[in-house]
Amino acid sequence: MEVPILKQGEYLIASVQVALSDQDLLALQQRLSALTGTQEVRGVVIDVTVLDVLDSYAVRILRMISEVLALRGARTIIAGIQPEVALAMVRLGLGLEGVETALDLEDAMEKIARRGKSRSPEGRSTWPPLSRNT
Amino acid sequence: MTEEELSHRMKVIQFTEEDVARLKKLSPYAREYAEPVIEEFYRHLLSFEEMRAFFPDRRTLDYVKRKQKEYFVRLTEGDYGMKYVEDRLLIGAVHEKIDLPIKTYLAMYAYYENQVASRLRAAFAGHADEAFDVFLSLIKLIRLDMILAIDAYSLRREQTIRQQEEAIRELSTPVLRIRDRLLILPIIGLIDRKRATQITAQLLTSIRNARARVIVIDITGVPVVDTDTANHLVQTVEAARLLGAQVITTGLSSEIAQTIVRLGVDLSRLNTVGDLQGGVEEAERILGYRVIRGEGGSSYLEAG
Repeated sequence: MEVPILKQGEYLIASVQVALSDQDLLALQQRLSALTGTQEVRGVVIDVTVLDVLDSYAVRILRMISEVLALRGARTIIAGIQPEVALAMVRLGLGLEGVETALDLEDAMEKIARRGKSRSPEGRSTWPPLSRNT
Repeated sequence: MTEEELSHRMKVIQFTEEDVARLKKLSPYAREYAEPVIEEFYRHLLSFEEMRAFFPDRRTLDYVKRKQKEYFVRLTEGDYGMKYVEDRLLIGAVHEKIDLPIKTYLAMYAYYENQVASRLRAAFAGHADEAFDVFLSLIKLIRLDMILAIDAYSLRREQTIRQQEEAIRELSTPVLRIRDRLLILPIIGLIDRKRATQITAQLLTSIRNARARVIVIDITGVPVVDTDTANHLVQTVEAARLLGAQVITTGLSSEIAQTIVRLGVDLSRLNTVGDLQGGVEEAERILGYRVIRGEGGSSYLEAG
């Protein structure tokens, strides 16, 4: 099933509704890449709240999406990873290094709003880690 | 304690059939002397103030006296098998339970031996060699009892230690909310795999419930940080990050910091701040709070 992609201001929201097959994930990557790259789109929020599992392939594609979109000048936020999913991912060593995350869609929009106001760098999200305190 | 272990111990203390035969011969004397010896024994015991606490009332005292008399007779009945051993282990465990120090328990035997020796001397008047042999056999048996008592004591202690370790591990690790979207997680005690998983699961749930954006993990109370602990910590931080929260670690002591570097553990993925106060301040800065000192020294927060 195709993932619906909504537009919200300068951001796109890809709202995952059901578990995704490998093909679905690849298709999502291609569509998002195609839709970004313009001044109207500053970034993408991928909402994965409904997913109760994220396997290594899905994690890899999510990372790839983030990297591809970065090259297209857009920001990626993965929102709504469930605690159990996070626990399983960490145990399997499936980090999402370099990918911004948010608690849920609302949190993601807040993070976007903060960034939009061009706050100080620490208002940015969590990756890369903050520089050491001096 | 198994059958083989028992016979091995008997061999070690050189307790033979000969000893059994000698002890059996003592049986009539034991029956005769049980009463006076035990009475004497407790009179002596209770003359020490620290001992009285263990026998708070008449009933307890009567009970232990009766048990001791049975024991006294049993010493000479020639049956020193598993049943005997189990009873001795039980006695040791009971003494441990009432917190009777083992040194006291052993010291009580000394008085016993003296008492018995003097009775033997009287009973075997003119047969010094025989008295001496019998006494030696008795001493061997008493040695065995002492060994068993110490066994029981240390077994109980080990059990206690295990239970405490378990308790420490299962001490709940509270996740505290100190500001809107800011949680504190103070960790006290050792972190092993099981506990790390439990802490992480609890933290993730709390992050979701409190919609936390920043978590300060304080590990001042973690006595040892080795490679495993460090990796657990990194995993917890990673998991929290997947939920969109960021973690500040505080309270890494100088000793632990040096150990970690020496071990070559890569903790560069942790955002560390010296102490809890610094960590909370950093968290507030991330969340856009400013603490302003008001008049009269009171301070208030301002959301930025």
